[in-house]
Amino acid sequence: MNNRDAVHQYLSKLGTYLARLNEAEVNEVLREIESHIYDSIELAEHNSDPINITDILAGFGSPRELAQQYVEHILEGTPPPKGFSAIQKVKQTATVGLYWTTAIFGYFFGSLIIVSSAFKLAVPDLFGVWSAAGGNSIVVGLVEENQQVGEEIVGFWFIPIALILGALLIKLTHSILRVLKRSEEMSRPSI
Amino acid sequence: MTLTNNNESKWDVQLRKGTLELVILASLKGRKLYGLELLNLLKSFETTILTEGTLYPLLDRLKRDGLICAEWVQEGDARPRKYFSLTSNGDEKLTIVSKRWRQSVEDISYLLTHPGPEPLNR
Repeated sequence: MNNRDAVHQYLSKLGTYLARLNEAEVNEVLREIESHIYDSIELAEHNSDPINITDILAGFGSPRELAQQYVEHILEGTPPPKGFSAIQKVKQTATVGLYWTTAIFGYFFGSLIIVSSAFKLAVPDLFGVWSAAGGNSIVVGLVEENQQVGEEIVGFWFIPIALILGALLIKLTHSILRVLKRSEEMSRPSI
Repeated sequence: MTLTNNNESKWDVQLRKGTLELVILASLKGRKLYGLELLNLLKSFETTILTEGTLYPLLDRLKRDGLICAEWVQEGDARPRKYFSLTSNGDEKLTIVSKRWRQSVEDISYLLTHPGPEPLNR
């Protein structure tokens, strides 16, 4: 990885962790840090010292740690009294619970929908979406042979529709989890 | 020997934590510096060495508190650099804090130069 890539990667990670600040503030921080890094590189070049980008970046600490110091005042404002750390704990546990519930449900139903398209492919006559009870209801699923449920609605279109729906659901779950994870990480008190 | 060094560095860390704000304000008194310049200036003293990761968030806080201000300056073809300087509030704060600092040094020196067993009469 060349220097420019390393700098770019560091800054883009930092930008992600700074998400709590407004856009102008984030850009200002990134611009300032970038400027410092290139100043350091130029100074090393000027002194004919070897340029070690890893060392320069190490001075800033990890993107997460650095970002944490920038957003601390937003997260904490006035630091809560000592005993209040219990609330932080509850909030964290709640976030963890929400995270896993979302993960299990989202991924489970997403996969289920995708798997159902495989059923349609394997046993086209027995699996599908039918109109039942004279159009007042629809039935989705696997039916026994010779059982007339009603008029089949989507037919083979079921396969692409199920694939897209399933993929969308998994992608949505993935996005939600990322947001939850980030807020959970950021609210973790720094030690 | 390691133990002594270790304790010294711990002491340094504690001291630096408490005096960092004063150090930054004092460095910027009557001059404009950009980040790397300020960092290298502080690295040139034995007890004020700090890292980029400490300096920049601190500058950000001092700016939010209205003690310092910053402006991007471009000289010739060079990349623009962000220069920091004291605001009038920062200047005032520096005057107050440096007074307290001098008082503190004086007090501690007095204690150091007047060991027992003689009673400490003031």
